[in-house]
Amino acid sequence: MTGRATFALTAFGLALLALAFVLQGAAADPVWLIPRRLMKLAAMIVGGCAVALSSISFQTVAGNRILTPAVMGYEAVYLLLQSVLVVTLGASGLTLWGGSGGFLLSILFMLGYSLTLDRWLFRDGRADLWMLMLVGLVLTMVIGTVTQFLQLRISPGEFAIFQSAAQISFERVEPWRLLVSTILFCVICLAGWRGLPALDVLALGRDQAMSLGIDHRRAVRRLLMLIAVLVAVSTSLIGPTAFMGIFVANLAYALAPGAGHRLTLPMGCAIAVGMFLLAQLMVERLFDYRTTVGILVNLACGVWFLALMLRQRSMI
Amino acid sequence: MILLTDIGKSHGTRAVLSGITARFPRQSLTSIIGPNGAGKSTLLMLIARLAEPGSGRITLGGADIARISRAEYARRVATLRQFPAIELRLTVEELVAFGRFPHNRGRPTAEDRRATDEAIAFLSLDTIRKARLDELSGGQRQMAFLAMTIAQQTHCLLLDEPLNNLDMRHALRIMQALRSLCDDLGRTVVAVIHDINFAANHSDQIIALKDGRLHSSGTVDQVVTEAGLRDLYGLDFHILPRPHGRLCDYFTPKGEAG
Amino acid sequence: MDRPVAPAAGPGAGNDCRPWRRRGMGRALPGALFAALCLASLMVGAGRMELAQLTTFSGEAWLTLTASRLPRLAAVVLTGAGLAVCGAVLQQILRNRFVEPATTGGLEAAKLGILVALTLLPGAGQGVRMALAMAFCLAASLIFAVITARLRATVLVPVAGLMYGSVLGALAEFYAYSRNFLQGMQGWMLGDFSKVVQGSYEVVWLVLPVVAATYVFARRFTLIGMGAEVAASLGLGYRAMVVLGLVLVSATVAATVITVGAIPFVGLVVPNLVSLWRGDDLTRTLPMIAAGGAMLLLICDLLGRLIIWPYEVPVGLTGGGVGGLMFLFLILWGRR
Repeated sequence: MTGRATFALTAFGLALLALAFVLQGAAADPVWLIPRRLMKLAAMIVGGCAVALSSISFQTVAGNRILTPAVMGYEAVYLLLQSVLVVTLGASGLTLWGGSGGFLLSILFMLGYSLTLDRWLFRDGRADLWMLMLVGLVLTMVIGTVTQFLQLRISPGEFAIFQSAAQISFERVEPWRLLVSTILFCVICLAGWRGLPALDVLALGRDQAMSLGIDHRRAVRRLLMLIAVLVAVSTSLIGPTAFMGIFVANLAYALAPGAGHRLTLPMGCAIAVGMFLLAQLMVERLFDYRTTVGILVNLACGVWFLALMLRQRSMI
Repeated sequence: MILLTDIGKSHGTRAVLSGITARFPRQSLTSIIGPNGAGKSTLLMLIARLAEPGSGRITLGGADIARISRAEYARRVATLRQFPAIELRLTVEELVAFGRFPHNRGRPTAEDRRATDEAIAFLSLDTIRKARLDELSGGQRQMAFLAMTIAQQTHCLLLDEPLNNLDMRHALRIMQALRSLCDDLGRTVVAVIHDINFAANHSDQIIALKDGRLHSSGTVDQVVTEAGLRDLYGLDFHILPRPHGRLCDYFTPKGEAG
Repeated sequence: MDRPVAPAAGPGAGNDCRPWRRRGMGRALPGALFAALCLASLMVGAGRMELAQLTTFSGEAWLTLTASRLPRLAAVVLTGAGLAVCGAVLQQILRNRFVEPATTGGLEAAKLGILVALTLLPGAGQGVRMALAMAFCLAASLIFAVITARLRATVLVPVAGLMYGSVLGALAEFYAYSRNFLQGMQGWMLGDFSKVVQGSYEVVWLVLPVVAATYVFARRFTLIGMGAEVAASLGLGYRAMVVLGLVLVSATVAATVITVGAIPFVGLVVPNLVSLWRGDDLTRTLPMIAAGGAMLLLICDLLGRLIIWPYEVPVGLTGGGVGGLMFLFLILWGRR
């Protein structure tokens, strides 16, 4: 089956799933349920697509199939920011200010982190990938300990607010946040659309790209900026996604082998959204809310990723 | 003496070795030669008990090696595989001392220290005995590992491609050391060697394998003939006698492109 | 870590020429430091201790000392030494410098074991919890050892281990959430010495015989680090030693997690530092590793108690933070 056919099939299946999600059991109280479900669906779509786009393009930039922004510490930085905000502003300050202000601040922080990564780790153009990943994972753990330390200083109420931001959830979507995210997302997509062919060339590697006339440094920096905003959008909209990006990216490559980004990016989006839909449906129907989307997604993707890493000897 | 009777080994459906019957005489240096994929390393691993044969028997001094206890076997046979990828920060002295483990099981005695010193002196490693392994060159490291197997004071040494990645000087030193082990200390040495010249000039016996089967075996004079080597490697050979041995000159047969 | 092989510059270049060692401070300094740290640990705390009362062997000060401070000191020292030794043994078994219970899934497995014990056998005592924690840790470590035996790249093993730990953690989360346990789990799983009180911490003394056993087998563990083939050539039962090593590690991890909670990175940093300084021969370096681990944890503990005095930062955070930073430093320095 060609990549395009697979994609068409996936998209169709996805549409069905989305329909099922919105309409299932809605006969009870359609006026109240359906708009809420539509908002959740919108959050899944925007968040899922943001995760997929950022992961796939990050892997192209980094030149390997394991690293994703989440693993490289982006999400840890986001959580750190949240805890700092909670500690300094307190619960009331957070609800007042934390809305758009927090959002903008997240974006700024992500951009800063991107710049740091760009300068520090991609410095010589070649990235010792496993070392990078180890650094990213350890950084995530260290930042995690700092975050936990900050949590010691706050009250349980504030902690609850923080905790809800630290897990994947489609419940806390407010209309204005969704709107801002969607606008930002569309802007990024437009900005990246023109650079799509260049992305394919970047996938060939630094040397090849440069010999084909691409200004590697600038292209990488620009991409990292876009990725940073995408990660800010996805984490503040739906929460940290950890290993999901790796799963989505690799499944997209597997379902559309050899295809350029023109196909893999949409495929990744479809997979991400599908995954969210499935997880949410399972939480609601199968597990009766005895678990969360985050736990399911992390468990599934983590196991899958481990199996992938250990099955293949040469990873890149 | 080591005797192999009808040894066979398969990996899945592929037969790596079949029907190998060979003798490795005592107190002599036997080289195992052959083209890539002939099964030389596998054969050595079977003798070293690092793998089990699918069929056949191996005896050491008349006793079936499968029945000898692990500790006892370690006192009789020492194995050195190619370039053990060890990243431990040990000094040469510490490494060689580990070779005494089969004898002292972790409690070093004066005898062990003496054996360690002798092994280090045998290979003239005294100048680097306090140096750390990761500070040495490849050749020096290989010498250190060889010293460890010598310190094990086994009657038999098995070496898998001991000369790989070594410069000429160290390769020669190792071959001379192996030669001295046989002549002066009366040990039995079996080595898988790639370079036909090293094998031909330093061994007493040669065993040649091709495609998992025994191609030829016997003294160096019997095996190292132009016809024999041509059949073994598929290359033309000219064997030129030299004062200290012979020189095997090889090139592709006429009519074949490179 | 992969290092380019230096051309043989000469005999023992760079090995014994550290100046400060020549000043003969080798033995005296660490001993004095250790004693000072122990003393400081006994003195610091939320409650005030009247020194005068100590001499009479009665009164509140004495009670504080015996019921809280001394047990705490014992727990810190034993945990530090035990975790560091665990790290050293794991590094030999997995032949990788970056492994320790936190990067092989051992800590998470032990936590999962305790969780299962608490939910399935709520009435059972500490012994059962300890047994389950040890069993889970052992099983997880064995699986990990088998899986990573085929991995070549050095850095891949700890990465795989961290992932493995995350998966086990996600499993624990799943399990805990479905039984409404999640709320409390995070709190008491984190390493915290303030829970150490006479009467409930004694199981951590198990670390002492384990460390002693490790020392007895130190030479064998160093041999294991050379790989299966060298070990086989020297007549060592490779598999038996690996299993023994993992059993010892699991016992230590279980004992410390039950008493104190999870403390990452200590077992990784200390053996690496000692190895850089004195090499990898465990027969010589194991005492140093144990002592180093104890001292590192003493420092982290003191730090935790002093930063926001009179409140306390759990040692799981200070250890994780300090250890993590040191680990990052080691990684990046090794890259140079």
